[in-house]
Amino acid sequence: MDIRDAFRRYRPGFERETTRRAKRAAIAGLPAFLILAVTGSMGLALIIATIVFIALYVPAWDSLPLGHWIVTLSVILLAVLYPFYYPNLFELPIFGAFPSVDTGVTMLIYIMMALGLNIVVGYAGLLDLGYVAFYAMGAYTAAWFASQHFSNVTFHLGGVGSFGEKSSVPGIHMTIWLVLVFAGIFTALVGIIIGFPTLRLRGDYLAIVTLGFGEIMPQIANNGDNLLGYNVTNGPQGINPIDPPGFGNTLHNAVGLPSDYLSSPTSTRLFYWTALVLVLFTVFCSMRLRDSRLGRAWIAIREDETAAAAMGVPLMRTKTWAYAAGAFFGGIAGAYYASFKSGTFPGDFYFNISVFILCMVILGGMGNIWGVILGGAFLSYLNQEGLANIGAWMNANGVSDAVFGHDIDVPLYTSGIFGVILVLTMLFRPEGLIPSSRRKAEFREGVSDEPLYDVQH
Amino acid sequence: MADLLTAEGVRKEFGGLIAVNDVDFVIPERSIVSLIGPNGAGKTTFFNMLTGVYKPTAGTVVFDGHNVTGKPPHAITERGIGRTFQNIRLFQNMTALENTLVGMHSRLKGGILQSVLRTPGLRREEEGARKKAHELLEFSGLRGRDDEFARNLAYGDQRRLEVARALATEPKLLLLDEPTAGMNPQETADFTAFVSKLRDEQELTVLLIEHDMRVVMEISERVTVLDYGEKIAEGTPQEVQRDERVIEAYLGTAAVT
Amino acid sequence: MATEQARIRVRPGYRPDVLSMIGLTLVGVVALWLVVNFIKEPADFYNLFLIGMTNGAVYGLVAIGYSLVYGILELINFAHGDVFMLGGMLVATLTTSWALESKSGGTLWLFILLMLLIAMAFCATINTTIELLAYRRLRNAPRLAPLITAIGMSFILQNIGLVWKGARPTSVPDILPHGTVFTLGGIPYTWNRFIVILFTVPVLTALVWLVQRTRHGKAMRATAQDREAAAMMGISVNRTISFTFFIAGCLAGAAALLYALYITNIRYTEGFRVGLIAFTAAVLGGIGNLPGAVLGGLVIGFVESFNNGLGWHAPGSDWTQSIIFGILILILVFRPEGLLGERTPEGA
Repeated sequence: MDIRDAFRRYRPGFERETTRRAKRAAIAGLPAFLILAVTGSMGLALIIATIVFIALYVPAWDSLPLGHWIVTLSVILLAVLYPFYYPNLFELPIFGAFPSVDTGVTMLIYIMMALGLNIVVGYAGLLDLGYVAFYAMGAYTAAWFASQHFSNVTFHLGGVGSFGEKSSVPGIHMTIWLVLVFAGIFTALVGIIIGFPTLRLRGDYLAIVTLGFGEIMPQIANNGDNLLGYNVTNGPQGINPIDPPGFGNTLHNAVGLPSDYLSSPTSTRLFYWTALVLVLFTVFCSMRLRDSRLGRAWIAIREDETAAAAMGVPLMRTKTWAYAAGAFFGGIAGAYYASFKSGTFPGDFYFNISVFILCMVILGGMGNIWGVILGGAFLSYLNQEGLANIGAWMNANGVSDAVFGHDIDVPLYTSGIFGVILVLTMLFRPEGLIPSSRRKAEFREGVSDEPLYDVQH
Repeated sequence: MADLLTAEGVRKEFGGLIAVNDVDFVIPERSIVSLIGPNGAGKTTFFNMLTGVYKPTAGTVVFDGHNVTGKPPHAITERGIGRTFQNIRLFQNMTALENTLVGMHSRLKGGILQSVLRTPGLRREEEGARKKAHELLEFSGLRGRDDEFARNLAYGDQRRLEVARALATEPKLLLLDEPTAGMNPQETADFTAFVSKLRDEQELTVLLIEHDMRVVMEISERVTVLDYGEKIAEGTPQEVQRDERVIEAYLGTAAVT
Repeated sequence: MATEQARIRVRPGYRPDVLSMIGLTLVGVVALWLVVNFIKEPADFYNLFLIGMTNGAVYGLVAIGYSLVYGILELINFAHGDVFMLGGMLVATLTTSWALESKSGGTLWLFILLMLLIAMAFCATINTTIELLAYRRLRNAPRLAPLITAIGMSFILQNIGLVWKGARPTSVPDILPHGTVFTLGGIPYTWNRFIVILFTVPVLTALVWLVQRTRHGKAMRATAQDREAAAMMGISVNRTISFTFFIAGCLAGAAALLYALYITNIRYTEGFRVGLIAFTAAVLGGIGNLPGAVLGGLVIGFVESFNNGLGWHAPGSDWTQSIIFGILILILVFRPEGLLGERTPEGA
């Protein structure tokens, strides 16, 4: 009896499902692989992982109730436990060690921004080249409400810079959790204001204009030490320090939550876990939006604006919502990052960042949440540590000498590498690494690209 | 019978070209009227002005007691005009059900916050919407096709989906732009019966642009003829059929057998 | 069922009066500001005028390239400014390695001419190659795709510039003569600046002639209006588009030569900056309109120099970029056809 016949009888449709199941088993097997790799032996980990893989491949565990949650939960578990097992992980070939927890925080913040941009570019199909403006807006909101910048005012609301002996520190010091909410809402409002004149423009003009706003924002930040007489942004020096996150003394005494992240011995982990929570929040909202009436309207607009309008979808309003939602998450990400770095400077914000985040969305797969997370993680890792590691490996192992004749500084080529990624992705796999099936079809078969406003006179 | 739609002196100029020249047009409630004319006569342009895709250069359009001249398409759809397109404009990469659900956009209320929180009210609304969309698809002859991508549907089914989607907007007036183009005689006959059903069971008013004279003759109560952007004749199908100017405009070899 | 039946009579090509009034008021305010500054410091004014005119001419040349490509492909070629930048770097390299500062007179001009041809060929080759490799495949893709590819290309070219000449500005030997051509209000207008104008005018004329009178130009215009119809008329769309990129590249190369020799330095980020300015100029003048692109370039050149230099209530060089983008946004929102473009009401 052929073993495949046996499988076919046991699992009808076995062949059709093969690839899908293989993928899911592989992803679910990942936790086993990595956690076992803690032993430091890649060989042992591979053996055990193969066993786990087969064990997960055969039974129809994903048709159990809640079965399809297993993949998601294992990935989340992986992420949450990362600070604990990461020091024991083996070294990857070429890339070297896994990223540190500190890098992890930065990666998570970039992932959050990529998810925010995904709503604008991936769902609604609006090419936004100025996402850095939202990031800057969020960062400065944190700077205004959680630092000594406005030192002529003293206002405290659970802010970390205001405990005990510090309770008379000048400036506005609100607790970071409120600041994040403010940042999100404020940036969303800015997004709506920016969107008002620009969202009626067709795709390529919209791109340039958003680029413009992305350039204007840092310039305002740079010159903001004297805006009509007010010092709004403290100019090129930026605003620092910015209060770290924290839960305050009351909660600390009652439940043991850290009063001030920086005063805790495991501060990096705290930052990391909070960032993870923010990312999960963004994923949650993205999914809900995607499957809602608004999400459908976004897809309709992306496919055929004129038909969408004819079906009762108000174009400007719907596009503005996409913009506002994207801005909301970008603002929160920016505010949190400012708190993490304890400072914000105009030099932090430049055009390349917008393209960088766009690259994550595109490489990952426009409109697909998992894809964007993957793209975001990979590219931000490359930017922070990966490229440097690759360079070190190439130099140490003679690859650079062989190809170029001398050692090379790989991070110098970062923008070029990202450019190549963009071009190659657009040419050969525009739907990204993990496409939504919709997008794949759109790129292969095209959409009706005629913007409505050109036509309506 | 009251007039559902009144268009007066509607005109559209594109630069120097006058596509529609001061046309008056009235649609009585619960009627099925047709708009015919040779290619390029301005029928679709006129349609587009009624639905807000174009702004009229001059003239007024009053629908259901409201002045909708020059309003944006989504506002006009909200007022109660639904339409299909001459060259099918479905959302190709959405399923039939999703296409229909988009049509319901203006009749549903779920906002951004409710969507994220998935309040019980929203869940009920979505369920109700899906049920209604499913029923609409069945009504339009698309039973069992709910989860098919629009681009994978057969041509006739795509036309039906366009109608289902337009019906989802809960229109009082339905504008069908050459709905039977490319259909064989059997499909055309089915479709004609379907349009009658729409008027009788759903209490809709229908305005048809058509080239197929059989359809026009069979179900229209009144026919209007455009040529070079001007109204050259209007009346019952029989009257129009005999009108000399119409015959001239059409060369008379229209398939009236 | 009586209703409010307002008769709407909107004549085509007319803008609502409020907008025109606001626009005219703004222009009036700016004109007033210029006049006040002129009265206060005429010498400064003349000087800045001349600087603005010269810079503006360069911007105009680059803007024509954007306009041409956008007209034919409806694509904003983000990489165009960076092609210009690479041309400038080439000029810098050649000037130094040929030791042109030690030459003069006829020999010098011969070398400059040679550099011009090389720069033009270089930029034209890069431009056509980019079109061939990247944009051609995406001609029928959703519009997002070639735009994103163009951004990627821009990044790649910038990186090449960074690696070639480093992060700091590269200085170009100052080889152009500085003799005075004429004086304006006591301010001398020197040859090294005059060359830029001397070059732009015939180039613009030649281009207009090319587009309006020659077969190639006709093919370009036809392809720009309706690609399929042009193909059916026997026009090779691929060749026409390649030709357009070729011409745009030549223009970028020429502009690069002028820019490098007159500004006497070049930096890898310059392409991005000039590119955005040039694109704004192209839109300001009316995208697809060649004299408009040069006009737009001049206007922006003036805006930049007056803003940087004037003493009375000038926002200052800190704000130049924002002002230029502000102009872009205002134009796109309120008058997308630009100064010289026509409002095209499209048919279905």
